[in-house]
Amino acid sequence: MKPHKTGRAHASGTGSVTRFPRDAWYALARADEVGRSPAGRVVHGTGVVLYRTSAGTVAALADRCAHRPYPLSLGRVAGDLLISSYSGFAYGPDGRVVSVPTQKRVPVGAAVRAYPVREYAGLVWVWTGSPGLASRRPLPALPWLTEPDWTTFGADWETAAAGGLLQDNFADITHVPHLDPALAPPVLHQVPPRLDVEVTEQQVRFRRDFPPARLQTWQSEATGLPPEGEYAQHEEGWFAAPGLWADRWDVLVPGEPLTLHFTHALTPVDERRTRHYWAVSRNFSPKPETTGILRPILDGYYRKVKDALEVMQALVDREGPAPEVRVRADAALLEVRRVMRRLLTEDTAR
Amino acid sequence: MTLSAETVLHELEMDVVVRSVRVESDGVRSLELAPAAAGDRLPPWTPGAHIDVLLGSGADALVRQYSLCGDAGEAEDRGSWRIAVLRTEDSRGGSRYVHDTLREGDIVTVRGPRNHFALAGSPRYLFIAGGIGITPILPMLAQAEAAGADWRLVYGGRSRAAMAFTDRLAAYGGKVALVPQDEQGPLDLDGLLGTPEPDTLVYCCGPAGLLDAVEAKCASWPSGVLHMERFTPIAADDAQNLEFTVVLQRSGLTLTVPADKSVYSVCRENDVSVLASCLEGICGTCETEVLDGEVEHRDAILDEHERAANNTMMICVSRCRGGKLTLDL
Ligand SMILES: Cc1cc2nc3c(=O)[nH]c(=O)nc-3n(C[C@H](O)[C@H](O)[C@H](O)COP(=O)(O)OP(=O)(O)OC[C@H]3O[C@@H](n4cnc5c(N)ncnc54)[C@H](O)[C@@H]3O)c2cc1C
Ligand code: FES
Repeated sequence: MKPHKTGRAHASGTGSVTRFPRDAWYALARADEVGRSPAGRVVHGTGVVLYRTSAGTVAALADRCAHRPYPLSLGRVAGDLLISSYSGFAYGPDGRVVSVPTQKRVPVGAAVRAYPVREYAGLVWVWTGSPGLASRRPLPALPWLTEPDWTTFGADWETAAAGGLLQDNFADITHVPHLDPALAPPVLHQVPPRLDVEVTEQQVRFRRDFPPARLQTWQSEATGLPPEGEYAQHEEGWFAAPGLWADRWDVLVPGEPLTLHFTHALTPVDERRTRHYWAVSRNFSPKPETTGILRPILDGYYRKVKDALEVMQALVDREGPAPEVRVRADAALLEVRRVMRRLLTEDTAR
Repeated sequence: MTLSAETVLHELEMDVVVRSVRVESDGVRSLELAPAAAGDRLPPWTPGAHIDVLLGSGADALVRQYSLCGDAGEAEDRGSWRIAVLRTEDSRGGSRYVHDTLREGDIVTVRGPRNHFALAGSPRYLFIAGGIGITPILPMLAQAEAAGADWRLVYGGRSRAAMAFTDRLAAYGGKVALVPQDEQGPLDLDGLLGTPEPDTLVYCCGPAGLLDAVEAKCASWPSGVLHMERFTPIAADDAQNLEFTVVLQRSGLTLTVPADKSVYSVCRENDVSVLASCLEGICGTCETEVLDGEVEHRDAILDEHERAANNTMMICVSRCRGGKLTLDL
């Protein structure tokens, strides 16, 4: 590894971010997808194989046998070992080769890379950077995904667009009424109220407070609030980490607000493809019927986002990047890009 | 309301309680800071980061920057931050306030964190600290260690008794060289920096004299290798200032910056929300992207190459060399 040319904070640059830092946690699978048979995933263009040991903990190894370029995810799990179905090499959860079929002794140092893993909020997270740093960089807390008073549904898929395009999308919701008028609460169709953007070294939060207004049809159906009622609403977006966004939408009623949390885990498959895990959590009406109202609306919207971002990626692929006209409402987006660029220069792993 | 109040940009600001005070050396005290409100969490940070501390109240309040010098890995519970402050006698009183007035249990307001001295990835590091300049370097050592890099620290100070954190550094053994000036004389910069070392980044923080000398010595090293943080502003002669025009592209505004005002203050007067803190060109908060025009840099943050690149400027102090600047604001 060569030292980076500059580590100063505000490496400037233009346009959407394509490369994501390695020193970060990325969601590679839903926890229920990882079991006793190996599951292959790709992050930063590199294969990672996940499996559970007999004790139930998740192991994450480079998905490439050290002997021949054959994916370990096509192999099988035996006890705590992962065995290549081409070479027969057997790997422990720490990546070390414990046996090879053709000789008694294992070649010295034979191993594949093992990644630090965490299981949290229903997802399996892998630290793709210097292993020694993993324990020093905790995942942000997502209590709405772990505490019982919240009801959550979600889905995941691959979007054929750079992760930076997804980040840009989440950093600015003023596109929502144009992309999906049926989803957007009526307040979003008006000139937006003041945008408050709050930055720290690594995180960006933005907020808007909307004056009392009618709710969108699905909002009153899901919350049970009368459609003729007018409610103040609050929007909040949070860039918590390169691979993690958490947004919320509050409808203010006496007492606790009725809240929807939208959590997005973004995993850079490569510079043009992104795995997107989304989850919508609510603190009201846990009934399945309410999920039945919300799910098609949100699922439909996120599919529209996926389609739009894929169109953008195709256009950029065809014509290359171009200077963008920016508006004041881009403040959050620009701060997020700034953090992303800085994290890239700080990366300790290549 | 003017157009630009559409967007307000600011740093996180929160109240913290001084959980404990510790004497680190002659003249240096450290404070442990924890969120004052139950349920508040401190945001994550990385080595090299600093915060603003608002010292005192009302019109007398001073805003001072202090590097986070606890272990960034402690962020596991994100329970508290540590800062260490050197008592500066000949001063406007910020550091004196920390030493003489702040007590355990007091509440202060902080902003940030922000980081303009981040540790870039590298297989090898040379750390040079002078005096209180050890503060941002301290957490860097733990990170370099965790990342498996090869590193060493040369730490100079007036005397052994004046040097903070020598206890914490002892754990690193031979990777750390302590150089008390009264015993060993000043740092041997020729020996340290005379020959460029391959694949090595140099991180240096300390008094202006040390930084200037290190900068001069590193001229023969590859560009981009030296990273420094200055705690004090670079003197500028404001009597020579000229008026110029600034175009705020995003806001759609063209404004005049008179000789006696900064770009920052003109933005403020026109309700364009921009980040700023020190207003002296030392904290880096107001860094702004330059789209067109040539900058006359007056800050203590950008190095020679970054200045020449003309990509960004500190709008609290830096000015314009032509008649017009276009900024991404
Ligand atoms: C990024 C950053 C990180 C820092 N980290 C630390 C840290 O970890 N620990 C630490 O102790 N300090 C740190 N500092 C320095 C700190 O912010 C204060 O500058 C310091 O505590 C002195 O504050 P003061 O009010 O006592 O002195 P000031 O009044 O600010 O005086 C500082 C120096 O400026 C001179 N001066 C006096 N009057 C004036 C004036 N009117 N205008 C301009 N200069 C004047 C003084 O002679 C003195 O040498 C950091 C600074 C920066 C920018
Ligand atoms: S506000 Fe500190 S550098 Fe400009």
